[in-house]
Amino acid sequence: MAKQVSRFGQWAIARELCWRKRQQVRVVMTALRLVFPLVLVGTLADLVNRSWLESTGYYYQTLHVTSWLLRRTRLQQGVLLVQTGALGLAVLGVAFAVSYLLIARVTRQTSDRLMGGGLAVLALQFLNVNPATLRAGRPLDWTAMNLGLTGLALGIAIGLLIGNLYGWSVKRWSQPSDVVIRPLTLGTLGVLLTALLGVLWLMRAPLGSTTGLTAWLRGPLTGASGWGSLLGVSVLNGGLAWLGVLSPLPSTPQQAAMAAQNLATVLETNSWRLPHPLTGQTILQPYANMGGTGMTLGLLVAIFLVTHNATQRHIGWLSVLPVLGNFNAPLLVGLPVILSPILWLPFLLAPAACLSLSSLCLALHWVPASAYAFAVGTPGPLISYLGTGGALSALGLASINLVLSTAIYYPFVKWAAIAEQRVHEEAISDAKL
Amino acid sequence: MRSFNHYWSLGIILALICLLSVPGLCWHSQQIRAARATYRSAMAPVILVPGSSATQNRFNQLVKELNTQTKTQHSLLRVEVKTNNQLVYSGAIRRGDRQPFIVIGFQNRADGLTNIRKQAAWFTIAFRALQKTYHFNHFSAMGHSNGGLILTLFMENAMAKTGAHADRLMTIASPFNLEEANPKVDTPMFTQLVAGRQHLSKDLVVYSLAGSQSYTGDGIVPFDSVDRGKYIFQKQVKSFTQITVSGANANHANLPENQQIVRLIRQDLLD
Repeated sequence: MAKQVSRFGQWAIARELCWRKRQQVRVVMTALRLVFPLVLVGTLADLVNRSWLESTGYYYQTLHVTSWLLRRTRLQQGVLLVQTGALGLAVLGVAFAVSYLLIARVTRQTSDRLMGGGLAVLALQFLNVNPATLRAGRPLDWTAMNLGLTGLALGIAIGLLIGNLYGWSVKRWSQPSDVVIRPLTLGTLGVLLTALLGVLWLMRAPLGSTTGLTAWLRGPLTGASGWGSLLGVSVLNGGLAWLGVLSPLPSTPQQAAMAAQNLATVLETNSWRLPHPLTGQTILQPYANMGGTGMTLGLLVAIFLVTHNATQRHIGWLSVLPVLGNFNAPLLVGLPVILSPILWLPFLLAPAACLSLSSLCLALHWVPASAYAFAVGTPGPLISYLGTGGALSALGLASINLVLSTAIYYPFVKWAAIAEQRVHEEAISDAKL
Repeated sequence: MRSFNHYWSLGIILALICLLSVPGLCWHSQQIRAARATYRSAMAPVILVPGSSATQNRFNQLVKELNTQTKTQHSLLRVEVKTNNQLVYSGAIRRGDRQPFIVIGFQNRADGLTNIRKQAAWFTIAFRALQKTYHFNHFSAMGHSNGGLILTLFMENAMAKTGAHADRLMTIASPFNLEEANPKVDTPMFTQLVAGRQHLSKDLVVYSLAGSQSYTGDGIVPFDSVDRGKYIFQKQVKSFTQITVSGANANHANLPENQQIVRLIRQDLLD
């Protein structure tokens, strides 16, 4: 297999191996695999909730769920419980696992590892309190469980910070007089320190900081109505997802207004010459986001085209249903795509190529722009067909985009499989030694 | 054989995509219908119809008064429908005004059952022309006196064909049983309005305002005639509210300038 790899491929594999040999990276990758079941269950619950049980969902509308599903509201409550619980626990779990695994590399003491993991969870909790509920006599609202997939990056960051700090302290205090004295002391100091940081954080009005961060992230999206700005949005979305922020950027009021004007033109004048032909809704969503951020459907198809990649295929099979509904978190966490240099390039390149090709086709009036709002959970290739009121040319372009993105992903998936195999072989040889 | 094993999983993925697409393909025609049914244009004018004898300038003072009381200044367009169906416009709708006032008056503004029916037909002509020009598909309306009857006739008989949706209707001293004071007598107008009530939209919110100068009416329209509105709207539309206004300016002609009614228009018809 390695003989067929091009020079660029060999270089990419070498860089991937070099990257994954780093202790911190190896720990994060292991932690992501550990929380994969939680992410999978939480995402499946999210898919069921948003596509089957909410009025904007694809199956809700197409299968007329309200006419045959009894006790929908009750069922939705149950599904939301599973979703929030699983995804919230995944965020806490990744913080715990990263910290625990980092400490495991410097000490064999289980009490130290557990204390470090617990401190990471505590730190995450302290940073995620709803300040509005901080009043005497009222129950406190911990928001860490409500972070959802957006919080995965935060969980990784907190885990790395606490794990490294604890690990550093353990190295400094390598021979305690008693096995319990070190975790007790470091745990007490850690709790006090995280509590102090939490109080300082709350005093700095975190809501203002969060709003500022959201506004900064939403900035490029505001009024994005050209190829360049949409490309920027696509790269930003992909970059954030690669870093572990798995929720796509929210739509802005300007984007919603442009979508409304487009729909108004179609319904009032029956013309497909839209006032805003290049927006997130007309191009990004239907043509460059199949399977979720990064044209992940192309990645899924590429996985099944490559041979000798049992792990990738296994993750692919487990993630197939969410990805077909454009929920790609399990695939990004399971492979993982998150923090993987070898998959970073196609993850940004595939949607960019699809976006560019679709913009060109739209400029040449070969396909109409998508105007109808898409239902959540619509299979990727069908979004453009339904969005254009049934234009076969749009369906054709979506299929071409799928092939294009698969072709972009294919060599990288192959190289990622080789890198994975080598990492596995090295792990076995290390274990024998 | 190896090739088959290699590609069967890919085949399953593609088959799954096709299978999950089937509901969407079957639903496609309904999607467009649903989008059209639920779509509401950005512009939702407030259409004002004066009563008999009044011209399209009847509400100039009212609009001026309302504009002094609201943050958003609403523009005013006046339309007169000639007896030969020609439309004469005065005033203008400001660009970006999402809730302009449009007054529709008639060259033949005489009272009487036949004339009211004609005026309802002329109203439909003006409405279609305005809809074509300004691309709105929902609106609110206010009719003073016979103007309320014209609007009710339009909503019962012609509105469905225009594809428009009426959000709110306010009738001010509208004589649903004409000038008949005897509660035991049904006029042909009332009979016609009751017969067509099932065509009224289930989403319509209706306010029927009555003036009470004396204990029996506003000086021209008997209170019982206005009260007859309940037999037309109640249990048919989304909500039906009757309000009686007394005090200063409670006589029939002065009702549109009555401060209580101006406040009710601002509160219930304007966003």
